[in-house]
Amino acid sequence: MEEELVNQCVRLWEEPLSHMARIREQGGRPVAYFCSYAPEEILHAAGLTPVRLLGSMRTITHADAHLQAYCCSVARTDLDMALAGELSFLEGAVFVQTCDTMMRLSDIWRRNTGFPFHGDLVLPVRMGEEISLPFMVREVGRFRRQVEEYLGSRLEDEALWESIRVYNRNRALAEEVYRLRSENPGLVDGLSAAAVLTAGFWMRKEEHNALLERFLEAAREGVPEGEPAAVQLLVTGSVCTTPDLYRLLRELGADVVDDDLCSGHRYFDCPVEDEGSPEEALAARLWRRVNCPSKHQSLEDRATRLVTQVKESGAEGVIFYLQSFCEPHLFDVPYLKRKLQEEAGVPSLVLETELQSFSRGQLRTRLQAFIETIAGV
Amino acid sequence: MNGNRERQEGDDRERRRIKSTAAMRDLMLKYYMEAKAAEGTEKKIAWITSGGPVEPLICFDVIPVYPENHGAMCGAAHMNVELCEVAEGMGFSRDLCSYARGDIGSAVTKGGPIGGLPRPDFLVCCNNICNTVLKWYEELSRFFGVPLYIYDTPFVRGPLPDHTRDFAVRQMEEYIAFLERMTGKEFDEHRFLDVAVKSFAAISLWAQILSCNTARPAPMTCFDAFILMAPIVTLRGTQEVVDFYEGLLREMRQRVEEGIGILPAERRRLLWDNIPIWYEMRNLGRLFMELETCLVADTYTNAWTFEGVDPERPLQSMAEAYTEVYLNINLERMSDRQVSLAEKFQVDGMVMHSNRSCKPYSLGQYDLAREFTRRTGLPVLIIEADHTDSRWYHRTEVEGRIRDFVENLL
Repeated sequence: MEEELVNQCVRLWEEPLSHMARIREQGGRPVAYFCSYAPEEILHAAGLTPVRLLGSMRTITHADAHLQAYCCSVARTDLDMALAGELSFLEGAVFVQTCDTMMRLSDIWRRNTGFPFHGDLVLPVRMGEEISLPFMVREVGRFRRQVEEYLGSRLEDEALWESIRVYNRNRALAEEVYRLRSENPGLVDGLSAAAVLTAGFWMRKEEHNALLERFLEAAREGVPEGEPAAVQLLVTGSVCTTPDLYRLLRELGADVVDDDLCSGHRYFDCPVEDEGSPEEALAARLWRRVNCPSKHQSLEDRATRLVTQVKESGAEGVIFYLQSFCEPHLFDVPYLKRKLQEEAGVPSLVLETELQSFSRGQLRTRLQAFIETIAGV
Repeated sequence: MNGNRERQEGDDRERRRIKSTAAMRDLMLKYYMEAKAAEGTEKKIAWITSGGPVEPLICFDVIPVYPENHGAMCGAAHMNVELCEVAEGMGFSRDLCSYARGDIGSAVTKGGPIGGLPRPDFLVCCNNICNTVLKWYEELSRFFGVPLYIYDTPFVRGPLPDHTRDFAVRQMEEYIAFLERMTGKEFDEHRFLDVAVKSFAAISLWAQILSCNTARPAPMTCFDAFILMAPIVTLRGTQEVVDFYEGLLREMRQRVEEGIGILPAERRRLLWDNIPIWYEMRNLGRLFMELETCLVADTYTNAWTFEGVDPERPLQSMAEAYTEVYLNINLERMSDRQVSLAEKFQVDGMVMHSNRSCKPYSLGQYDLAREFTRRTGLPVLIIEADHTDSRWYHRTEVEGRIRDFVENLL
C-alpha cells in the first residue's frame, strides 16, 4: 500500500501537467504559483486550487523571445510552457517578489499570456523585524482584496480561518513525515518523503492531508526493509523539479535525510498562529518563517539553521542543489560551505543545473565522487 | 597642406572637448583622496549602494563610498576581471554580478586603480536598484564585521501604495536613528534641510544639463554623461557638487548657443538603455563617432533626475523618491519613460545593452524593445555584454551589429 502510494506520487511528480489539467476538467479552478511565500490559504478559501509550477525539463521554444539565457531555467521553462499553450487549464497565476527574476517575470507573464487572473504579492526583504510587519499585513490585505475583486464577492474571515486550519494540518503532517524519515530512515526513505510531499503541490490540501495520513499510517505499521542507505545527506537549494536527484542518490547508496529546499522543508516551516485577523496571522507567518536567501533576517540565520539541521539529522554531507543564475543562492555558497565545514564538520558539493540541458550522467559522476569521499571508499 | 589640415582638426577637437571634465576629475580625485585619508581616523566612512539615500550621510558628516562607482572605475581601467577572478577563486559563481565580484575581490586584495576602497565603519544597502545588493552587502558586512543598515524599498507596480510609502518613511526615521548611533551625533534638522536643498539643486541642475542634449547637434553623448554623473551619484547634497554642475550647465548652454556638437558630424541620434559597458567606452565612442551617430540620451543617467524632493517635507518626499526609482517600477512605467525620452530627445532608434550582470535592468528588455517600436515606430538594437566583465563581450560581433543597425537607420 505504502509503496503503491509512493509510486503514484512519483508519477505525479514526473507528470504534473496532466494532473493539473484534470483538476480543471473536474470543475476545479487551478491557479499557478511558483514560490513558497505565495499566500495559498487566500486562494484556497476563494475556491481556487493553488498549483505549483516548478519548471520542467524541456527544450525552450517560446520563452527565449522574452527572457535572456542568463536567467534561471525555472523561470524560462515555466514561461515557455505558458506561451506554448500547455497551461491552458490555468485560471491565472500568482507572483511573489523574491528575486529580481521573479519580479520581472510577473510583468512579462501578464503581458504575454491571457489568463483571467493575475496576482502579485510584494514582499519586503527585511523579514522578522518589527518595522516591516505592518507593511506585510497591509500587503496581504491588499492581495486578499485583489482576489475578492476578481471573484466579485467578499471572502469571509471564517472561510480564511478554515483554509488556514487545512494548511496548518498539512504542515503538521509534512513535519511528521520528515520526522519519521530522520528518526527511522529504514522505514521512510528520502524519495518517499519528498514524493508524498511534492504531490501535494497539485491537489487540494484536504485531499493531500488524507494522502499523508494514509501514508503515515502505512509507514508506521511497516517493517524496515533492510539497512538504511550507507551515506546520509542533506540537500539545500531552491526546488527539485523532478525526482532524479533522489533516485540517483539511492542508486549510489546514499539518501537524503533532511533538506533545506523551498519545495521541501522551507515550504511547510512554521504554522500560521491564531493572532488577530486572518491577514495579520498569514502575514506574520510569512514574515517569521525560515528565510529564502533573497530575504534577510540576520547575517547568520541561514548558516545557523543549516548547521543545526545537519547536526540534528546526522547528515554526513550537504549537497547544494542550485539553479544556474540563481543569484540569492549562489551568493551564499562560499559562506555556507565554510560554516558547514567549520561548525558542522561536513563536506559539501555544489551542483548547478539547467532544466533545458539537464545531464543525468554528469550529475551522477559528481555525486558518486562526493559520496565515495564521505564513505571513505 | 597636410600639416594645416591636421592643425585644423586638432583645433576642432579642442573646440569640441568638454572642458568641465577636468574639474570633475579634480573633484572626484579629491573625494577619493579624502575618503582614503579618512581610513582609521575619527571620521566615519559608509559604503552605500548607488541608489541609496546618501543625504542623511552627508548631514552626519559621514564619507559616503560607492562600490559601484569604484566598480565602474575598475572596469574602465580594465582591472575588474582580475578582481572578479579573486572572488571566483573564493567560490563566488561567475554568473554573479561583476560589480559585486570585483568589489569582493578588491576588498580582499586591495586591488584596483586606487588600491582599493577605504575600510567602512558601517554599510547602507538600498534594494531599489536590485536584490543583488542585499546579498553583496551581507557578504561585506560579514567580511568587515561592521553593521549593515538595509533601506528596504518594496517593488512598485502602478501608483505608489500607501503602505509602501509609510514603510519607506518609517525607515527614513529609523535610518536617521541608526546614523545617530553610528556617529554619536544628534540629528540636526536644519543641517538636513540644507543638505536636502543642495541635493535637490544638484539634481535639478543635472536634469537641465541632460536636457541640453535636445539641441542639434547634441553638446555631449551619454558616454560623457556616464562620466560626468559621478558627482551626482556620490556627493549630491554638498555645495561643491552644486558648484560643479552650475559650471557644467553654463558650458553646455554655451555649446548649444554656439552650435558646438560633441561629434564632428551628427547624422543620427540614439537612445541608450542600461548601465554602460565600462571597459568598452572608448572603442564604442570611436565607433559611434565614425558612424556620425550620437547617443543623445539614456535611461541610466536619467535615473538620477528624480523629481519630488520637496524641501517642505524632505524626509517623506525623499523616501518616496527613493522608492520609485527607474529600476523599482513595472515594465509599463519603464516603457513610458523610454518613450518620453525618445520623444524629448528626438532619437532615431534605441540601443539596449542586455547586461548579464544586471537582471532587473535587463530582464524585460525584449518586451520593452517591442513596446518601444510599437509606440514610436523606431527600431531597437539589443547587444549582449556585461558592465564590467569583459570576458562576456564579443567586440567584432557587437560592433558589426551596431554598424548594420546604424546603416539601416537611413
